[in-house]
This record gives sequence, structure tokens and C-alpha cells, in this order.
Amino acid sequence: MSNIMPLIRNETIKMVKKKRLYIIFIVLAVLVPMFTYAQMKSAENNRDKFGGDWRLELQQAITDNQNSLGSDRVPEEYKKYRTVYIQQMQYYLENDINPKEPGGVTFTREFMNNAVGLFIPLLIMAIASDLVSGERTTGTIKMLLTRPVKRWKVLLSKLITLIMFVSIIVVSAYIICYVISGAVFGYKGFGMPIFTGFKVVGTDVDMSAVHAVDQWLYMLMQAGLIWFVSIIVAMLAFMVSVLVRSTAASIVIMMASLIAGTILTSMAASWQSAKYLFMVNLELPDYLSGGLPPIEGMNLGFSLIVLSVWGIASLFVSFIVFTKRDILN
Amino acid sequence: MKKRNLDSAPWIWRTISTVSILTTLLLLFGFGYAIKDVIFPEGDAQLGTGQQTTTPAKDNEQSKPAVKDGKIRMAVIGDSLARGTGDDEGLGFVRRAGNLLKNQGYDVQVLNNMGVNGLRTDALLSKLDEQGVRYVLQQSNFILLSIGANDLFQSGQVLQGEDAPTAESLTAALPETSKRLQEILKKVKEINPDAQIAYIGLYNPFGDVKELKEPGNAVVAAWNDAAMKVLNNEDKMTLVPTFDLFENHLGQYLSSDHFHPNGEGYEQIAVRIAQEYQAETPAEGSGK
Repeated sequence: MSNIMPLIRNETIKMVKKKRLYIIFIVLAVLVPMFTYAQMKSAENNRDKFGGDWRLELQQAITDNQNSLGSDRVPEEYKKYRTVYIQQMQYYLENDINPKEPGGVTFTREFMNNAVGLFIPLLIMAIASDLVSGERTTGTIKMLLTRPVKRWKVLLSKLITLIMFVSIIVVSAYIICYVISGAVFGYKGFGMPIFTGFKVVGTDVDMSAVHAVDQWLYMLMQAGLIWFVSIIVAMLAFMVSVLVRSTAASIVIMMASLIAGTILTSMAASWQSAKYLFMVNLELPDYLSGGLPPIEGMNLGFSLIVLSVWGIASLFVSFIVFTKRDILN
Repeated sequence: MKKRNLDSAPWIWRTISTVSILTTLLLLFGFGYAIKDVIFPEGDAQLGTGQQTTTPAKDNEQSKPAVKDGKIRMAVIGDSLARGTGDDEGLGFVRRAGNLLKNQGYDVQVLNNMGVNGLRTDALLSKLDEQGVRYVLQQSNFILLSIGANDLFQSGQVLQGEDAPTAESLTAALPETSKRLQEILKKVKEINPDAQIAYIGLYNPFGDVKELKEPGNAVVAAWNDAAMKVLNNEDKMTLVPTFDLFENHLGQYLSSDHFHPNGEGYEQIAVRIAQEYQAETPAEGSGK
């Protein structure tokens, strides 16, 4: 352990000097204002329609969803989802709480909810995919390995550095999002109650465990789940970067599987075994808000186990391959 | 000093390591809390009953809208006719009536269209207990109501070309459903005693089917009659007749499903609704 600290320190400095890291923050700083603007426009539109009364807006959304339940053209899966949605919205109405209370905090919460499946993993990939493959492309790996340090320690130091930056990126995403959207929607909303604990049983929602938590606590839980997802994605990207020589190839591989995941999640309902794929399990925050899982029978415990297995397996592969492989060229 | 400024490594390392440890701990805590909260949730006993701490504030807000600013706040509740099914422009009678009233110089806002396809009287009765529905009705001062057609004609079956209703089945459904209609009207009145309520009467969509014309007409007449009996006893409640509108113009006013009105049909109903409003509150109209 004594000689691993300098390695981590070294990796950290390398990471900080990399342009790629700043691209992540720039991407966030460009995209968040776009989404903020879009959200502002739709809020304005609704204000015109419903005179700023969220209860009217919510009731109309409920009625519209009820109507789609009777339609033969709406697939059964969507109907299930809408039934759940209707019950939750009615619950919010009954308790007189606006689930979409406009504000920087709410915007951040919703943005992060939508970002966990693809956007955040993409950012994580940007730094994880070239950790090892990048050194091989440039040839610096040889210098790194000629030092009198065990190979597994070299790899471990890279992994620890990666996890450090995953935490920083996740928290930065929250901060950037909050600061930018707050400029438009206001910075309040931390104390607003959010309901969690909806248990989806078939097409019915079990309300017995529903309880309100302050939005800040909700977001802390959400951030924790997003962080876990990010760590797993980081480990997978890490493995790919060990296996594949070129950074470009490693990014393409990760990106393809992530995008395949989003497509699968929207249509996998009838393919039961798809639930063992890591990509289908990324939307962990949905378990907080009580969304319908992409495949029946999935729950938080299940998703955590599936993701953990993927994460541990990829670490295992990474270390075996890295310590055994001949790195001469 | 100079060397230290050029090589900023110690500074970077110290900051990054501190920040990452703090953020990781924070996120780990959030992660653990989330697992605890999702897997072993504790429900709030006082939630979900609709009777909790926020109720008084809500009541205050809900009694507020009785403002007499001359603005018409319309809401419609009921079945597919309320929805506007069959109208190519998707306006239904509520938006069309709203537009007509707007043209007459009123300030009109259509708050909500709470029409649900296939809704029957029993479903509407329980719908009137929903918090959101009650809220919308309390906010409006001109409530339109359309219900009953699905109870009488079992629109689903007819539209799918199964058995057409018989004279017996039509009359059999009448007493029970017209009683429920009365309950519905009373309930709406209870929710908002100040609003004008217009019930859209039924027409006979089978008036051009030989063997259904007579029993259909009889049932629709009996139905409208039953509705009338309730409405007569209440002020600010009216029946908007549609029977005569459609009687001889079914081909012209019905949409292709031969059950719902088309745009033109809805427009005819809307004209009557607009007239109904004027007749009810001449003071507000002339004050404009």
C-alpha cells in the first residue's frame, strides 16, 4: 500500500492535464442551458394554457392518460406504465403537492433522472475509455511498466483514480445543472416534499409504503444511485480499455452497448432474459420515483446485483489480462 | 517559490484528493440511504388519506375562485362526447362553445376537458370523488356534462358491429342509469353550487335504423325526461337538447362511426351551449 499513493497521485495529475476531462464540463455547460431553455418554453406554454395552475395541468394529464387506456392502438406495455403514472399523479393531487414545482432543484432532479441511462455514462466513458488503451497508443505504457512496481498496483492506481473522478463528475454535473437552471427557474426548492416508496405490483401501485422526503434528501439518494451506475460503467469501460488497443475502438464499443441498452430498454418487455444485461439496469433512480421497470420482476435489489456482477467480472478480466499479457509493442 | 508556481502538482493533488474523498463519502451515504429507503420503506401513516396537515390551506385556496370578474371558466366532464371524439378538428363542443362565446366578447378560458372515452355513469360517480376532478369543477363557473350514452347504447358493442341494442335492452337499462344521472347532477352541484351546469341531452344515433328508431327514440326521450326532472328543481342547471338537432340530420351530423357527432354536429351542440350561457346570466353578458 505504501507505494501505491505516489502512483495514484501521478495518475491524478495525468488526468487533470488531459483535455478530455474539461470537455466533460464544457459539454455540460453547453447542454444544460439548452435543456433549460426547452423546459422554460414548455413551462410558458403550459402557463398560457392553464393559467399557471398546476392542478389543472396535472388533472388534464391524468385525463389524457386515462383516455389512452381505452384505445386499442396503445400497446399494453404503455397502458401499464400510464396506469401507474395516473395513480401516482392522483396521489400527488390528493396530497396537494405539485410534482413539477418549477425551480432549479426540480429541474436538476429531472435532468439527472433522464441523464442516468445514457448521458452520464457517456461522460464517464470519455475519461475511462483511454485510461489504459491511451497509454498503449502513445507507447507510454512501457515507461510505466519498467518501473519497479507490480503491474496490478499500476492498474489499481488507475482504477482508484478513475473512481475518484467519477465521484467528482457526478457531483459536478449536479452543481453545473443547478447553477445554470437556477438562473432561470430560481434556486429554491430543496425543502419541497417528493413522494417515494411506490411499489408497483402488476398494474397496480401499492401506496402503503409511500412517504414524503425533502427534495434534497431525494436528490442525495438519486445521486448515490447514479454514482453506483457510473462506477459500474466506469469499470466496464476500464475493462474495454485494457482489452482493446485503440482508444477510438474502446469508445465505440462502450457507446454501442450503451445505445443498444436504451433501445432494448424501450422494447425488451417481452424478452425476459434481457434483464441480465447491464444496460437494461441503468435506470436505478426509477426505483425511487416508482416507475415501471423495463422488464417485469425487476427491482432495486435485482438491478444492484446484476450491475455488481458485471462490475466485478469486468474488474476480474481487467486485472487478469493486464498482469498476464505481454506488452512489448 | 518560482518552481512551486510552475509545477502546480502538489496543489492539484491536494485539492483533487480532498474533493474526491468528500464527494465519494457523500455519494456513498446517498447510495446507502437509497437502498435502505427503497428496500425497507416506511410509509407515512398520515399520507394518502387526503386528510392531512395541508388540508386547511387547500380549502382556503379552493374557496377563492368565486371571483366575479365576468370571465367564463369552462370545464367539461363525461364521456367521449365531452372529449370530442369524432370531431376532425379535435375541438369538441366545449372548445367550439368557448370560441362562440369568445366571439361574443366574453373572456373565456377552457380549464380542462375531463371527458374519457367510454365512460359510464357509475365510473363518473366515482370520478367525482377524485381530488383533481373536484378541484377543476370548483375552479370553473360553467360546467358542461355529458354522460349516459354508453350506459344506454353500450357504444363499444355497437361500434364493433356486435349485436345492436334491442328495444328490451334499451328500456331495461333506463331506470337504474337515470337514477345514477340524478346522483351525478346532485354531486356536481354539491361540489360547486355557484357554477352554471349544463347537461348535454342525448340524441338517438340509431334514428335511421328502422327497427331501432322507435324504441331508441322512446328511451332517449325517457332519459332526457328523467334528467329534466332533476334539472327543473335546481337553478343554474339546464338541459341542452340535442335530440331534435340530430333527429333528421343523422347523416349530416354524425361521424363515420355512426355514433359520435362530427365537427358539424359538435358545432350545432356548441351553438346551443353558447345560447344557454347567455340566457342564464344576461347581467354579466351585457356588462361586458
